[in-house]
Amino acid sequence: MKDERKPDILIVDDEEQIRRLLRFALEEAGYSVREADSGRLALGEIALHAPDLVILDLGLPDAHGTEVLRALRPICPAPVLILSVIGNEKGKIAALDAGADDYLTKPFSGGELLARLRALLRRVHPAATPGNSFEFGPIHVDFQQRRVLRNGQLVKLTFMEFNVLKMFVTNSDKVLTHQHILTELWGPHSVNRTNYLRYYMMQLRKKLGDPVDSEGGHFQTEAGVGYRFVSNPDAGA
Amino acid sequence: MLSGIQTNTSNFALAWDYAKVATVIALITVVGQFAPLSYHALGYVYLFGVIALSLSIRRWPALAAAILSGAAWDFFFVPPKLSFSGIHFDEGLLLTTYFAVALIGSQLTALRASANRAELFAESERMHQTLLDSVSHEMMTPLAVFRSSIEQLATQDPTRREQVILELKVATQRLDRLVSNLLNQNRLESGVLRPNVDWCDCHELVVAARRSAGVKIGDHPLTLDIPMDLPIFRADAALMEQVISQLLVNAAIHTPPGTSIKVVAGLSADSTKVLITVSDNGLGVPEEIRDSLFDKFTRGHNARKGGLGLGLSIVKGFMRAQGGEVSVESPPGGGARFTLSLPYEKSDSIPLE
Repeated sequence: MKDERKPDILIVDDEEQIRRLLRFALEEAGYSVREADSGRLALGEIALHAPDLVILDLGLPDAHGTEVLRALRPICPAPVLILSVIGNEKGKIAALDAGADDYLTKPFSGGELLARLRALLRRVHPAATPGNSFEFGPIHVDFQQRRVLRNGQLVKLTFMEFNVLKMFVTNSDKVLTHQHILTELWGPHSVNRTNYLRYYMMQLRKKLGDPVDSEGGHFQTEAGVGYRFVSNPDAGA
Repeated sequence: MLSGIQTNTSNFALAWDYAKVATVIALITVVGQFAPLSYHALGYVYLFGVIALSLSIRRWPALAAAILSGAAWDFFFVPPKLSFSGIHFDEGLLLTTYFAVALIGSQLTALRASANRAELFAESERMHQTLLDSVSHEMMTPLAVFRSSIEQLATQDPTRREQVILELKVATQRLDRLVSNLLNQNRLESGVLRPNVDWCDCHELVVAARRSAGVKIGDHPLTLDIPMDLPIFRADAALMEQVISQLLVNAAIHTPPGTSIKVVAGLSADSTKVLITVSDNGLGVPEEIRDSLFDKFTRGHNARKGGLGLGLSIVKGFMRAQGGEVSVESPPGGGARFTLSLPYEKSDSIPLE
């Protein structure tokens, strides 16, 4: 019966009208919704009810969104979607590095929001976490043998190219900041070497035949922030 | 929104005044040593110096000029030379004139400055008023649409409802664009904009721009001509996304539906610049407004009603902030072509594996 349970979503935003409209959209899409209008109340809600997903506004009156994230991460494993405003790239990056999974820039459309929520909730279910192998589009990745096939043909990836691909696949539908990828794969001293990352992204896209010029690509660019790997681009927005 | 009135009371300006005083008086003193003039005549030369200075400097530096002149004259020229000697009545009178002149002169300078300031202030008030008028007009229109649409939504006629919803969408987009343009202009003028320049891939920038322009490009087909081997270059990705999407939206708005928009990218012939051009097939930009096109509140002659004329001024501001430029031309074949240029340097090599 567990599958029947409606996913529980906590909305943290200080604007009542935004909360109400989000509630309409989410309830209509079949989610059950709770609300909090401050960071303090949000932490209480999370401790009491353990939501399946948190929508968190970065501009709360009592605490910065990043502080709320740091406080909630130890007690809440659920994915967190950040709501941010235009021009606040630094805020987004800080929030993503503090443990948020994805972000949307206000004003956003309801369709966009629901697509992101679906993708984030998919990640939570074990079916989406890669085991020994993973498939997306025409690509088959074998983690144990470090082999990649494209339409059954072997694709030769270098050691680092494979590591980059693996990192994306194990973090499907989550925004990875440049800093995070560089620190994880090249070490903390390379945190500013974004030219490495651009180069490897170009190589990966070329070798895997993933189009950068169309919306259907699996490796999506978040300008100035990072990348998001989408295992199933057509199911999303 | 508007740059504040400059009140030149910075320490630097004051130091500059004192430097002028010291230079002029030192010059008179040195020249006086060699000039065949009586010490009385030299007293008047100092007086002219104080007059000239006090007309261009503030009160305290002017008083300092008076004191310094008096002291220098007395010390170097009033006999016995090279000592502060007691002075007679007529010499004392001349010394007092220094102070009177310094006070009157600097007062005049101050008056002139405040008149200037008042003029600047009036000008800035006028700009504020213009801005406020156009912003409130631009905001009221979508608000009026919201209000009447909400009343119309009560209608039972399904086609009417659909129309109303479409109107709401258009009004929302308009308000959205207005607010983000105002925010961006403000970021530029208040100096909080700190470009985060980093290595960028042109393909990614253009795709992100197209995504953020979204439905506003409407039914204009978009062709991209970006070489696969175009190297990465340094830019602020978020700013470039907005710049390119602004140019795409502009092209879509100012050209007939169905006409195509083309984005071409490449290195300049001498490989010192990255060039990204956005061209359309519209009427082009008339020669006479090409220079003013990037100024704020400037709008094309045949621009549709609405809009503040901020879009291209933001494009220019964002490009300059990254050390780049934007220009426009109307090639002989018709249409407008906007060229973005950014300085190009080769990235250091990627470590071999």
